[in-house]
Amino acid sequence: MKRLFLTVLVAAALWSSACGGYSNSIVTPPPPVGKFSVADLKGQYAFVTNGESFTGGSSATPLTRTGSFTADGAGNITGGVEDVNAAGATNLAVQITGGSYTVNADGRGTLTLLLGQSSIDFGITLTSISDGLMIDETSTSAQSSTGSGNFIKQNSGSFTIASVAGPYVFDFSGLNATQGPESILGQFTANGGPITTGVEDANDNGALATAAAVSGSFAADGVNPGTLTGFGRGIAQLNGVQYVFYIVDATRVRLLSTSGGMLSGDAAAQSSNVPTSVSSINASFVFIVAGSSVNGGITRVGRFTANGATVTNVLADTDDGGRFIQTNSATTASISLDATNPGRGTFTFTDPNFASTPGTYVFYLSSATQGVIQETTLANNAVFDVADGSIVAQTGSPFSSSNIAGTYALNWSGLSLQSNGVFATQDEEDLVGQVIVSSLNLAGAADIFQFQNGVPVFDLVASGSISIAGDGTSSSGSSSRNTMSVRLTKSNSTTVNFAIYFVNPQLAFFTNNQDSNRIVAGILKAQQ
Amino acid sequence: MKATIRNRAVALALGITLGMCISATAQQASHLDVQQFRTYEVTRESFLLGTVVKFDSASSALPIGAHVILQTSSGQMDVHLGNAKVLQAGHLELNPGDNVRIVGEPLALGDSTYFAARIVQKGAQAVAVRNARGFPLTLAAAMTESQKEALRGVR
Repeated sequence: MKRLFLTVLVAAALWSSACGGYSNSIVTPPPPVGKFSVADLKGQYAFVTNGESFTGGSSATPLTRTGSFTADGAGNITGGVEDVNAAGATNLAVQITGGSYTVNADGRGTLTLLLGQSSIDFGITLTSISDGLMIDETSTSAQSSTGSGNFIKQNSGSFTIASVAGPYVFDFSGLNATQGPESILGQFTANGGPITTGVEDANDNGALATAAAVSGSFAADGVNPGTLTGFGRGIAQLNGVQYVFYIVDATRVRLLSTSGGMLSGDAAAQSSNVPTSVSSINASFVFIVAGSSVNGGITRVGRFTANGATVTNVLADTDDGGRFIQTNSATTASISLDATNPGRGTFTFTDPNFASTPGTYVFYLSSATQGVIQETTLANNAVFDVADGSIVAQTGSPFSSSNIAGTYALNWSGLSLQSNGVFATQDEEDLVGQVIVSSLNLAGAADIFQFQNGVPVFDLVASGSISIAGDGTSSSGSSSRNTMSVRLTKSNSTTVNFAIYFVNPQLAFFTNNQDSNRIVAGILKAQQ
Repeated sequence: MKATIRNRAVALALGITLGMCISATAQQASHLDVQQFRTYEVTRESFLLGTVVKFDSASSALPIGAHVILQTSSGQMDVHLGNAKVLQAGHLELNPGDNVRIVGEPLALGDSTYFAARIVQKGAQAVAVRNARGFPLTLAAAMTESQKEALRGVR
């Protein structure tokens, strides 16, 4: 508690000082323009965030939360429930007793969820009336917490165990029971309760388990059975680990582990059109992974073209502990599919920067165009990192100022070096915002929470630009690298530079590629 | 009691590690094969004995995190300590002139090298900053049982 007060007071003092000394230099965003209003957030939404928390009884610790809130379309939260896992310590079925929210014309807004006598706060940006991006901005006398995540509209007609049926692809990441980094991704088939078949690949603190069997079940929560029909919430068991789950609809379930560590992620329905033979693959893909390496945090974004088993035009950008690595080509590269496990495959390429250490990945496709991916690179028989993320087919090129245009939601998350005025260290950084992209210039606003400060900073002016060199298929990889520069301005300003990979004109993944004091990755997503 | 057990476990781990490395000498990072040392392997661990020249909780040196410059018999070494908050939680302060023993191993990061600390010992006090796989620890790994229990109040 003392530390919280200290950080809040220090931050407040700094802010007061900044405001007092430079009040005429405070920059505020122009009034938001756009098509959104509070009426666009209406119904039940399943949300998830991953980040950190600080309470009086502890130091800052990893935190993930999953839940469901109900918005009335008029600025009021009428109910909901959430489950919290803080480094393995759980707080289950916490009732959301009320709350409020705002939505500006640009889709940015605030969300406050009341939990009895306490509350948690979020900054949000709508990407449509069905979903949005969010960061935890809680900064109260009882708790500070941050983290990035999103929310998706739920279909209450699917709030039955029977709705969780068929094949699903999943990706869970977080911490194992001893606080080591862990990633599990795989595929299971559920049959209205029991999981009948499944396979998974795990990277548990550097220990790989390949194509292991999955068993388990989905059921109502025996302690809170009403949360199934009310919020789509229940209890799942997967390979001996218990999870709480929230049904978005029959095609997506959000899960949070409540035993054996702190894992969270989604299971998405797997379509019947996943390729079963590598010969049927003829597409380009963009991928993003993030996690832990021995050098600290790692983010990697890249793309490749697959034509059968042949992989070409590998281009990637990595931030490993603050060191930036550009992969402009691959000396050997290939992709394969697992004949016995639909959608499961592997991808490998050798970066000339690391000629003796081929990069290897395992992926599970939920459709012909998207899936989840985990890095499995080995060096001297030891795993290089624990990192996972998404892989999506790249479409819609050539990218240019004519199709990269309109309004986009923006989110990034990771680590940065921060100081609260007393103590400087690496800590979590989360940003959510909205930008208008016109002639490849950015103009908008954002909130940022650098957790060491204890308090978020709201309504920064976001500006910058995107530089497009291609889609990665040119003969010279380095000449097709796209970049983005984001300048954040309040009483002072900072510029963060990124390598950005367009999945399509509506979606891009990025990682910072300059200034070694930051390891962040994020997405740029067009608002619908 | 549980905290005592945890401390004993850390001390035991430190003792085992030091026992394994008793004949090891501080390695010169500049002699490393870049590809050979990209990953952490506990069997390659050694230890450094030296005096703190400079401690920086948020160094500009890579990789990101806390670093200490250590004066050893072989010269000055840059040691990466991971997250400074883990040291802080362990109530271990590093000040110029402090004599420390650091268990870890040299790693390469691009063209440069650094010594990745796993356990930092000052006097009788030891704090783990990496796990046995070399991944820097978060504060959660340093929590006592009572601190973990307090997390159940997190909303």
